[in-house]
Amino acid sequence: QGASVSFKGLKQDTTLPVEVTADSLAVDQATGTATFSGNVRVAQGALVMTAGEIRVEYAAEAGKIAKLHAKGGVTFANAGDAAEAAEAIYTIDSGSLVMSGNVLLTQGQTAISGQKLAIDLKAGSGVMEGRVQTVFQPKGGN
Amino acid sequence: MALARGKGFHSKAVALAKVILPLLALALLSTLFMVSRSINPEDAIPFADVDVEDRVREPRMTAPTWSGVTRDGSALTLTAADARPQSGGARAEGLQAVLATPDGKITTFTAAEADLNQNDGKLVLSGGVQVETADGMQITTEGLTALLDQTEVTAAGSITAQGPLGVLTAGGMRLTQGQAGYTLLFQNGVKLIYQPTGPKPD
Repeated sequence: QGASVSFKGLKQDTTLPVEVTADSLAVDQATGTATFSGNVRVAQGALVMTAGEIRVEYAAEAGKIAKLHAKGGVTFANAGDAAEAAEAIYTIDSGSLVMSGNVLLTQGQTAISGQKLAIDLKAGSGVMEGRVQTVFQPKGGN
Repeated sequence: MALARGKGFHSKAVALAKVILPLLALALLSTLFMVSRSINPEDAIPFADVDVEDRVREPRMTAPTWSGVTRDGSALTLTAADARPQSGGARAEGLQAVLATPDGKITTFTAAEADLNQNDGKLVLSGGVQVETADGMQITTEGLTALLDQTEVTAAGSITAQGPLGVLTAGGMRLTQGQAGYTLLFQNGVKLIYQPTGPKPD
């Protein structure tokens, strides 16, 4: 069971340049993995993701980043929607962002929490799974 | 009897030759001295006096090479345009250093100036340094310090790096040998701009 979530107007062009800022970056010469650590911030177009540490995973061919593994408390914000989770994996080319570990998604007034949130940035849709709870703000609120 | 026939053609020829040939020899011999250019003993050994004074004033080596192996087994080879000895080491211009780490990765450093100081086992590169790491990352920075006895290279100033990761700028850089192998650590503020080459959205 899972609640499907629509990210209105969230079409994300995943070919926009990705800008990563952090306190430090360690590149392991043997395996070539690069790990950004220290309030890392990833920005791509309107999408902003912050995390304690982000490990870059390369695609098979050199010079291409396949995935960004973020951990240490991840927040994700894009055009009005914001989500928080313990960890997240962002696959740049396919535009899939999977957040896991007590995820809290806020869209305008409504808030949904669960264990795992899979967002497809290209299609602008997402599925929240695992102990999903949601809070509605009735329209006529005080 | 043969003589009686008087002076035959043969005898005339011989007599004539006896006069002409020595004269010819004399003439040839004289060209050796009178006509030949005067020999200046000075330019027997041509040498450039341009940098002789320079060399006398300060002794220099041109195109020296220095190589050593660090404690963790990576070979460091330095070649330079020229080097001047100074206390505890040497000062070089146009230096190129190649660090071949035991895992087979090659990192090359090129720098305008370098101070090799063997007393405290340090090589200080300055005046604009380029570093090319094994995975094709080109790093340019102002100055760099490399330890000679172990693999540790530190760039104090800001650096910019161009590589498979994209364009990276950082406040400092350190190449050290951790337990899992060599790590290149960029620090005090890192910014990377990566241009994904994925398919355009439909």
